[in-house]
Amino acid sequence: MTVDRTALIGRPLRAATYTVSDVDVKDFLGVVAEPDFAPVVGFEGGTEAASGRLAPPSFAPFVAVLGLLKTFDWQDDFLFDYRTGTAMFGEQSIEFHRPLMVGESVAISAAISDVYEKQGKQTFDVVEGTFDIKSREEGDLLISGQQSYILFK
Amino acid sequence: MTAPMSKAWFEDYEVSMALPSVELGPMDRYDYIPIALILRDTNPLHLDRVYAQERGLPDVVQQGPLNQAYLYRYFTSLLHDPWDLVATKMRFAANVFPDDILTCGGEVLALAPEEAGGGIVTCAVWQRNQKGETILKGEAKARIPSRR
Repeated sequence: MTVDRTALIGRPLRAATYTVSDVDVKDFLGVVAEPDFAPVVGFEGGTEAASGRLAPPSFAPFVAVLGLLKTFDWQDDFLFDYRTGTAMFGEQSIEFHRPLMVGESVAISAAISDVYEKQGKQTFDVVEGTFDIKSREEGDLLISGQQSYILFK
Repeated sequence: MTAPMSKAWFEDYEVSMALPSVELGPMDRYDYIPIALILRDTNPLHLDRVYAQERGLPDVVQQGPLNQAYLYRYFTSLLHDPWDLVATKMRFAANVFPDDILTCGGEVLALAPEEAGGGIVTCAVWQRNQKGETILKGEAKARIPSRR
């Protein structure tokens, strides 16, 4: 049975939060070495010392992807069975309003802005979402953008 | 992995100028474990070679945000301050697999001077594998200070 997802256009997704944790940033820097953003050395007091430090901009796509994944359920919101289906990222666009800080907690809000079908080797739906990521403490906008997901039929 | 690159000032940029390209790799499958933990995404496609091969892929698939992170690192390494990054737009075109060698590069598309000095530089950016296949392509904008 073919699923019609166009009725999802305009649907707000659930609010989510994420903390730019020292552990996540350290793990990230262990893979994507960023000389200007070296992790805090040593365990004792590391988390405290890391708070208030800048996270690298290369970590921003992770915050967007992670944050957005918390805003929807594949089945309930995208009518998609993630266990058996194939999903891919399509496009991501991001505007940076201010740097991300290690230790800061962010709130993610998102909505489905468009859904359309495309034909490649296979037929697939493109689900586009818009999102804002704000500081939970200050309420100021950190990142805004769009992310699309490709859901194969 | 990353060759040292000089950081140009706004006056140094010209439209159509190629950005220095940088080669990274080989990609390491063991890096996918911490990335899966950060993303809270334990999809076996990224971690289980047999599972991936049963689905017609040559090996496990490197996570897309990791590909992006390498392209971000490349572009922001050209900036005087990495957080001078203003905006990005990237399209995921193909998968990356363990042992792939990635090359990142770009080209200046537009220059917009600002009254206070310096300006916004818009660049096409891309990432390709060792076969010349495009992995990511898009645009990145950054605020570049003036030399003066």
